[in-house]
Amino acid sequence: MGPGQVSWPELLQFAIAGLKNGAIYALVALGFTIVYASTNVINFAQGEFYMLGGMFATFGFSHLGLPLGLAALAAVIATAAVAVVFELLAVRPRVGGDPMTIIIVTVGGSVLLRSLARHAFGSNELALPAFSPGESIMLGGAAIDRQTLWVWAVAAVAVFALWLLYSRTRLGRAMRATAIDGEAARLVGIDTRLLVTVSFALAAVLGAIAGVVVTPLTQTAFDVGAAVGLKGFAAAILGGLGNPLAAVVGGLVLGLLESLSVAFISSTFKDAIALAVLLLVLFVRPSGLLGRSRREKV
Amino acid sequence: MTIVVAVGLASAILAGCAGGGGAAKPSAGGEAAKKPYRIGAVLSLTGSYSGLGTPEKETLDLEVAAINAAGGVNGHPLEVVVEDDGTDTGKATAAVSKLIDQENAIAVIGATGTGQTMATRVDIDRAGIPELSLAGGNAVTQKFDKQVFQMPWPNRLVAPFVLKHMKGKGVKSVALFTDASGYGKDGLAVITPELAKLGMTAVANETFNPGDTDMTAQLTKMKAAKPDAILLWAAGKEAATIMKNRAQLGITTPVYGGSGQARTEFIQGAGAAADGFVFGTGKVLLPKSYGDAPNRKLAEDFAARYKQKYGAEPNIFTAHAYDAIHIVAEALKRIPGDVTPAALRDEIEKTSGFVGLDGTFTFSATDHNGLTENDLVMYAVQDGKWVLAK
Repeated sequence: MGPGQVSWPELLQFAIAGLKNGAIYALVALGFTIVYASTNVINFAQGEFYMLGGMFATFGFSHLGLPLGLAALAAVIATAAVAVVFELLAVRPRVGGDPMTIIIVTVGGSVLLRSLARHAFGSNELALPAFSPGESIMLGGAAIDRQTLWVWAVAAVAVFALWLLYSRTRLGRAMRATAIDGEAARLVGIDTRLLVTVSFALAAVLGAIAGVVVTPLTQTAFDVGAAVGLKGFAAAILGGLGNPLAAVVGGLVLGLLESLSVAFISSTFKDAIALAVLLLVLFVRPSGLLGRSRREKV
Repeated sequence: MTIVVAVGLASAILAGCAGGGGAAKPSAGGEAAKKPYRIGAVLSLTGSYSGLGTPEKETLDLEVAAINAAGGVNGHPLEVVVEDDGTDTGKATAAVSKLIDQENAIAVIGATGTGQTMATRVDIDRAGIPELSLAGGNAVTQKFDKQVFQMPWPNRLVAPFVLKHMKGKGVKSVALFTDASGYGKDGLAVITPELAKLGMTAVANETFNPGDTDMTAQLTKMKAAKPDAILLWAAGKEAATIMKNRAQLGITTPVYGGSGQARTEFIQGAGAAADGFVFGTGKVLLPKSYGDAPNRKLAEDFAARYKQKYGAEPNIFTAHAYDAIHIVAEALKRIPGDVTPAALRDEIEKTSGFVGLDGTFTFSATDHNGLTENDLVMYAVQDGKWVLAK
């Protein structure tokens, strides 16, 4: 099918698919960016937070018999708790040291969390019912699934809440100050170590939210974290690391790139095309689409 | 703190290994037992095929215990040493060397996956021991090796069977949807020439990657191509997402598939969206599909014992493992004196009319799969269960 043959409703359908995946990538990318802002490292366990969110939610719903909403909420809180424990035990002793050490610790953490999840929840995929079952909603000839609306709504609320946190609270201002200059922030009395813990908790909350809200569409399993983590990472880099707005833009652009690749080129190469565009962007703008170039401190 | 992390990681790694190292020890009989026959197994107990390897190991444990409780094989108890390959070709190679060189296994069951099976071939040939693969890829028996036997129905058997059924339903144009990993590619290589042979055409050819969370883009393209049917050739959880996305887009084009969807997790994952899905695979999912054949009683008996022990329904993977261990046991029974791997291989090749769960096996010097289209049947998903397709 050549580009000229794509009708408007189809194009809209491709855009919906891209923006749905993009919203998921954006949430995961935000997690990368938040941790990066406080520690200057990439947290390779970010994808596992996404996995844990979905796993805890299916466990709460199917095994503990919790109502869906409560299971979802409990899953997000439990994932944040796991992240805090992980940060306190494994990352905190290394903060301020060689960033490479922390990166290795997060790689180890991701392997550990994946193995633990497999032992605790088994190796088969697990399902969760749709939040509000029913027919898709038709819009201009394209169908929007109800769960997709949930994905967008939840992502929008999470981003808005994050914006409020950053701009309206003391904690948020402290996080921004630390992101700009950790040493200066510490000198004016900000507890930067606490902020690292908070950033892991926030990253886990965002990752878990993405995992919970997408599980009714995709099911979940102990090994789903790596693929989504990679996409979220690519989105964060594409937008520009360290900037929350850039993470959201990066996620949505990556999602659209993928679905338009399917539409106009080939589904076989969609990931390759998305990554090629990522490399191209980094070649032209090394700090990402919205990233500010950081001057080396002498 | 460092120590805590190190211990945590170490224990996770150990726990991972412990899952794979277990050996099914023969039960101690009252009589003075003869030396056990030791059989190796390379299974994917961890990694992406762990959902396949785990029921396979459970089946081996269950059947070895049953065979030994009945007096073993010619008075020798069976012993199975299971190694986990972590769904990794490198680990599969290491595991098979260990089974050959350290455990002195007389036969190897496995591996779970096609890639892992192919990776063990060099060592299997070197040692000259028989291997009974539980993997369904064409390569396992198409790239013929006299040491290697294959339990499942390969794609070259299942895909044409499904396509003929589709043609019988009046399907002329097909939209192909395959996964970009081994299983889908393997299937596509069979499907493309078979379509031409049957006078059918592929009007769309889309793929997805394992781990993809949305298939609406590909399905939108297929919808535009207006096929008579969609043929899904894939293994893994993405099939459920495809069926859900299809329902969300309001696509009513029928969808067909193969053994990759013969899993309860697929039905649970897709829910009502799986209704009407039609797929072809072995008869073990519904023992009544064997008709009056003796396989039926065997399947019903095994299902009851498996359910009692593990509290779960058996599936096609338990059937592969069941057939592998029993084909080895039958071949051993026919060897009167000392057993050598070479003698065992020759005896396995003489297997003829063996009644198993995957079907009735007859091996020959050129056919190491030994199954035919008679061992396959079409199913449909209806109200969250599989029933025989009309």
